[in-house]
Amino acid sequence: MAFVIEREKKIPTQKANVKMPTSAMQALQNGITRKTAPRRIDVQPRKETVTKTGLSSCECPLIKAENFSLYYGSTVGVKDITMDIYPCSVTAIIGPSGCGKSTFLCSINRMNDLIPHVRASGKLLVSGQDVYDKQVNLVNLRQQGGMVFQKPNPFPKSIFDNVAYGPRLQGVRKQSKLEQIVEESLRAAVLWNEVENDLKKSALALSGGQQQRLCIARALATKPRVLLMDEPCSALDPLATGKIEDFIEQLKSSYTIVIVTHNMQQAARVSDRAALFCLGELIEYDSTSKMFSNPSKKQTEDYIPGRFG
Amino acid sequence: MRVAVRTTFDKAFTALAALSVGLLCLVLVMILGPMTWRGIGAVVFRGTVAFRKMQLAEFGHGSESEIQAEVAEAEAVRKRIYEIIDAFKRGIDTEELTDKARRIHRDFGEELRYKQIPRQQYTELRSMTRDIRDHLEAAFASQDKSQIAQNIEYVLQYEQDERFKGTAAEGFFELAIEFQQTIAKIDLPKRHEYEQDLTEVQYILFGSSQRPGLLGPRPDEPLPALAMNRYGATRWDVAQSLLDQLLWAVQWVEKEPGKPKVKIRTSRLERFAGTKLEPLFGYIEQNLDKILRPRWTFYWRYFVDDSTPGHYFGGIGPEILGTIILTLLSMLFVIPLGIISAAYLVECASDSLAIRIIRTCINTLAGVPSIVFGLFGLGFFVLYFLPVFGAPSKPCILAGSMTLAVLTLPVMIRASEEAIRSVPPTYKEASLALGASRFRSFVTVTLPAALPGILTGIILSLSRVAGETAPILFTAAVAVGPIAKSIFYTTRTLSYGSWDMAVGDRLSALVPHNQYGMVVALVALVLCLNGLAIFLRSRVFKKLKGH
Repeated sequence: MAFVIEREKKIPTQKANVKMPTSAMQALQNGITRKTAPRRIDVQPRKETVTKTGLSSCECPLIKAENFSLYYGSTVGVKDITMDIYPCSVTAIIGPSGCGKSTFLCSINRMNDLIPHVRASGKLLVSGQDVYDKQVNLVNLRQQGGMVFQKPNPFPKSIFDNVAYGPRLQGVRKQSKLEQIVEESLRAAVLWNEVENDLKKSALALSGGQQQRLCIARALATKPRVLLMDEPCSALDPLATGKIEDFIEQLKSSYTIVIVTHNMQQAARVSDRAALFCLGELIEYDSTSKMFSNPSKKQTEDYIPGRFG
Repeated sequence: MRVAVRTTFDKAFTALAALSVGLLCLVLVMILGPMTWRGIGAVVFRGTVAFRKMQLAEFGHGSESEIQAEVAEAEAVRKRIYEIIDAFKRGIDTEELTDKARRIHRDFGEELRYKQIPRQQYTELRSMTRDIRDHLEAAFASQDKSQIAQNIEYVLQYEQDERFKGTAAEGFFELAIEFQQTIAKIDLPKRHEYEQDLTEVQYILFGSSQRPGLLGPRPDEPLPALAMNRYGATRWDVAQSLLDQLLWAVQWVEKEPGKPKVKIRTSRLERFAGTKLEPLFGYIEQNLDKILRPRWTFYWRYFVDDSTPGHYFGGIGPEILGTIILTLLSMLFVIPLGIISAAYLVECASDSLAIRIIRTCINTLAGVPSIVFGLFGLGFFVLYFLPVFGAPSKPCILAGSMTLAVLTLPVMIRASEEAIRSVPPTYKEASLALGASRFRSFVTVTLPAALPGILTGIILSLSRVAGETAPILFTAAVAVGPIAKSIFYTTRTLSYGSWDMAVGDRLSALVPHNQYGMVVALVALVLCLNGLAIFLRSRVFKKLKGH
């Protein structure tokens, strides 16, 4: 099982296509070494077993990208991504802004469809089915992958209605069944104790952290296999972030979680594997402990301590 | 620019803005204040006995026995007025005498026709009575004593004629003798002047075809055909102005040649000094309370009652009903259409040339004068659309409400479009990410979130529709007519009624309180509808915000 996907030395040849003005980018692409020694972050891998055995329970990848590229018109979103995402683990995607992290995440759910002139090539398989196949059932696909956005975006409805939205779409009509799902989901998102008594209250009355957890509960209510999180903590304070990280930990046992984050510490804390994206390309993909302690690529070594990006 | 200058400018602009806002408020108060005050006068006023009589006879309100007793009491006080006038009339009111003479001539002719006498004899008798009649009329009209005596003598020479004995023609001689007696007592040169004044006094008291009088028709006369002439002054304020007209004669006199005439008020009491009519004025002035029996009345039925033609009496019930029906029906058309159009423009339409043209058209249509929509409604809905669906091609509520809907559609589309556009796209994204279709996302998430903005659009449309006159001018509204039985009938509306009373009717000038009442009712109705919508909007808004 190869966690690190060996990249061909393509980067210099692509420089002509991808124009990035910042010198840091060019430094990265050209593999220029910094004079200062890289500042290492001490990462204590939370689960030694993960790094030892590869991955514990599920061996077969749930999401499989093979030479997957996505273009917005003539602009490159992501290019030539080949990576496997394994079930029941947390995969962090890191990288500088505009590098295609979110694009890749949205592709898994085909949320990019909203943007005009989107074009995909290569293969992106979710449980064996090509996401960009013409015959794919979008509703099923999206219910398989629950999405959590950067900013909390609960509907202007009651807390109950927010969580029950997905199940209702799936055709659940019975009130008792809905109540059960709502409670389960809210418990899973560690929100139940806080909102137990005012489920009828508008979701917009909650605090930012609560709203984000509500959004996660909403995503969980459809019983997705994958949980896609697009910088879920970037709009939250450290306390709320801590809460969310805690239950990402809990959710890991039953869900496949892909999380996009700007926060290196967070990636180190929550993820089992990490992928570094840069300018639409996958630079390195390995277990988190290896990525943070002993990266095989120069760019990774430069990026992770925060020397650029 | 120096800071001091900038501050000065800033203060100047603030002052200017405050001034304009203040002016606007002042104008509003100056217009709305008196209007509302006078409009309230249509509902709260001092109603006279004639008002209660009218309410009973025309609308069936009130207790019959009570009102009859009240009328009887009032009539008892009025009796003296009739007596004074009748006494004065003798010999003065020659018009009445002339009428009598003519009637006798006519009756006599009828009698002869029944008798079936030979034709030659008939002609002879007819020419004789015609001759008598003409002489009598000449006597009545003349101001010369000797001439009158001559004419009367001529008439009386036939008194002993056997052929007139026991026929209607005897009335001629009674008339002649009576006139001979009265003429001996009165001042002939003044008679003509008195006659004119008396006619005026009678008009003011008993009404004319131009306007109803202070007391209404005399009980011994037949009931007038028009409802408005059947009753005296129904309101105390009207009675006061009529009393003023009774006591003071207004004349336009040319004081200096070439200059405009000057209005002079002369007391009728002085004009009739020394005559039998003199006590009348004092009597009416002192006993007006007893004659009219005014009482403070809260006429709440003004908002439900039908009215007599020309809105002379009664309320504005059908107008209010018609306005509400027209407004709500047009809202029924415009709300779904507006929201669907806006949804299409925001969610589905691409930025093509056609869509841009449509957008421009919508913006332009919002500023088109309403009369243009009225003509469109006539040309399209009334003359084309209704016949296509088998309905008669004539104005009706349906056509009117559709015209109003078309009128306000651009406003509705623009407001809804803005509202839908201002819903954060994250809502839609979240819904789509949960697997909802685009339609479902729109209906369950975007639309509820856009509801406050859409309600604002509805409020704007509602106010515009309720107050519009021009679009329903040719398509739905009438000034006089029965209450609509269905949406295929014409209706009366407040806006059209106000317009009609303001421009059309001579009678409406006599009832300004009804004009103001109608306008104030329209303003109040629009305010109420708006208040309802605003209340609804705040509820929705609160629910969305979760407070």
